[in-house]
Amino acid sequence: MKILSKQKLTAAFDQLAEKAELLVPMQKGATSAFLPWPEFEPGRDELRLEALNVDKPPKDAVLPQTERMYKFSASGPEVAVQEVYEISSPRIVFGIRPCDFRGIECLDQVFLTRGYADGFYQSRRDNTVFIAQACYQPGPNCFCNAMGVDPVKPQADVTIHDLGDGYAWEPLTPKGEETTEMISDLLQEKKADLPEVKPFTRQVAYAGLAEKLKDLFEHPIWEKLSDPCQNCGICTYSCPTCYCFDIQVKSFGEAGYRFRCWDSCMYREYTLMAGGHNPREASRERFRNRFLHKLQFFQERYGQPLCIGCGRCLIVCPAGISIVNIMQELKEVE
Amino acid sequence: MAEAKCTCSNPLVPGLVEVVNIIDETPDVKTFYVRKPEGGVPFNVRPGQLAMVSVLPTGEGMFSVSWQEENDHLEFAIRRVGLMTDELHTVEIGQKLGVRGPYGNGFPVEECKGQDMLFIAGGIGLAPLRSFIKYCFKHREDYGKITILYGCRSYADLCFKDEIFETWPQMKDTEVYITIDREEAGWEGHVGFVPAYLEEINPSPKGRVAVICGPPIMIKLGLKSLEKMGYTDQQVISTLEMRMKCGIGKCGRCNVGSEFICLDGPVFTLEQLKKLPPEW
Repeated sequence: MKILSKQKLTAAFDQLAEKAELLVPMQKGATSAFLPWPEFEPGRDELRLEALNVDKPPKDAVLPQTERMYKFSASGPEVAVQEVYEISSPRIVFGIRPCDFRGIECLDQVFLTRGYADGFYQSRRDNTVFIAQACYQPGPNCFCNAMGVDPVKPQADVTIHDLGDGYAWEPLTPKGEETTEMISDLLQEKKADLPEVKPFTRQVAYAGLAEKLKDLFEHPIWEKLSDPCQNCGICTYSCPTCYCFDIQVKSFGEAGYRFRCWDSCMYREYTLMAGGHNPREASRERFRNRFLHKLQFFQERYGQPLCIGCGRCLIVCPAGISIVNIMQELKEVE
Repeated sequence: MAEAKCTCSNPLVPGLVEVVNIIDETPDVKTFYVRKPEGGVPFNVRPGQLAMVSVLPTGEGMFSVSWQEENDHLEFAIRRVGLMTDELHTVEIGQKLGVRGPYGNGFPVEECKGQDMLFIAGGIGLAPLRSFIKYCFKHREDYGKITILYGCRSYADLCFKDEIFETWPQMKDTEVYITIDREEAGWEGHVGFVPAYLEEINPSPKGRVAVICGPPIMIKLGLKSLEKMGYTDQQVISTLEMRMKCGIGKCGRCNVGSEFICLDGPVFTLEQLKKLPPEW
């Protein structure tokens, strides 16, 4: 088995960062996120490889919060359009957790299948290597196993396993092999035993729920479940699988660019039409659509739920809404 | 640092077209004819499909293509209802616009061959149906009797007046029924709402397909009328409208249940609609 000693970790980061933009889990001020390794400042910032989940999911590696799509100029009747690709270099995301990586796989389903491949997404995805870190000790808010994620067998380009003083290094794809080459001088071949997986503390009732939800669309329980929701949208922005986007314009006189940016189904404007009709006018309707999208609609369309059990929304929701409790109530309701 | 490769072109970037004709249909509807600056249509469109029209820099909006005239131009009948359409209504012939598409499934023109056709439209809802109606006339021998029922708030709001009053009623085996919501001076035609008029005309469901489009409330009541008249869920087709941004089933907002209207629709049979949540 290939082993990367923790003493050689920063050397490995330096080497990888020479070949690509390297994003690592980092605490910067009040927030933890996957951030570029060259920006790491010892003493001020903190590496967070042990964190099960950093605050911000790494979905922006492939779906940035804002992304330019094309430039234009418009002068009277004359108009010109020029496509823009902001991506400038290959990327390596180091230490993504298996749940978050399943989130990337959900995004792949959306952006790369069903008739159209989204060029902006595809370019980023093709140029990104994911090195996933297996989880042997689930946290108090973790429930990835209930959502069909194997916490120790992510299908990323490389999987690493924390052995205490080093990481077992397991390349799984040609891109992973290529990345392994970049630090081959730092890897040792050794025998090692992988740790035991500790049990999950949260039990979550997802199995069979998608099927049951087909008959619950008009159920009064949605009134009760959605009552505390403020429609603030923080759950959608902090969710590794929420992918909805808006397309907006920025113009400076006659020139400008059109860009896309993360959007949220929690907002009234999301489905409000120019004529004034809104199919999801009520907060309850938007709330219901979000949870049904996660638990039923995505399952029907792509064969997996659009929740990967990371637990971030449980932590950030100002109203204390928990998708775990919602699943439980939906499972029990008659 | 190695160069990242751009690995595919993007369906979200529009091509350019030029406005070559503008027809004032009603006080708030204009039909725009567009073609590529070098001539020809930007892409081929099947009846009922959609395209995203951009007025730069103001905005983009999704519209049904109300007709493709051979390889000459596309026609969009567009109502002025908001920021982008306000701007669009000020453009003049020669204006360049962005357009991308075609999107969506379109009407089942092949499956309807050999059938009598009943088209039911309200307001700007005739714009999408017009592509199917004109397709039927172009392939007249492939379809049976054609019945068109069209209603608007007032006479002034009726779109495509030349076609609905002159051209279409003269076509072979074709009946055109027009209604407006309220009495007005000079109008001697029918007065009343579309669903009630539909039940009054009562075209038999035997060997006939009904295609309905209009404001959501008209569609919902019209579907009830059709059911009452004996139409089965497979015989009724509608085309839906939702807010859209991408047009390719990715940006999220136009879902009804697990279906995306821009990609899986906008055309559905009533049988398909009944399997979806009533959220449109």
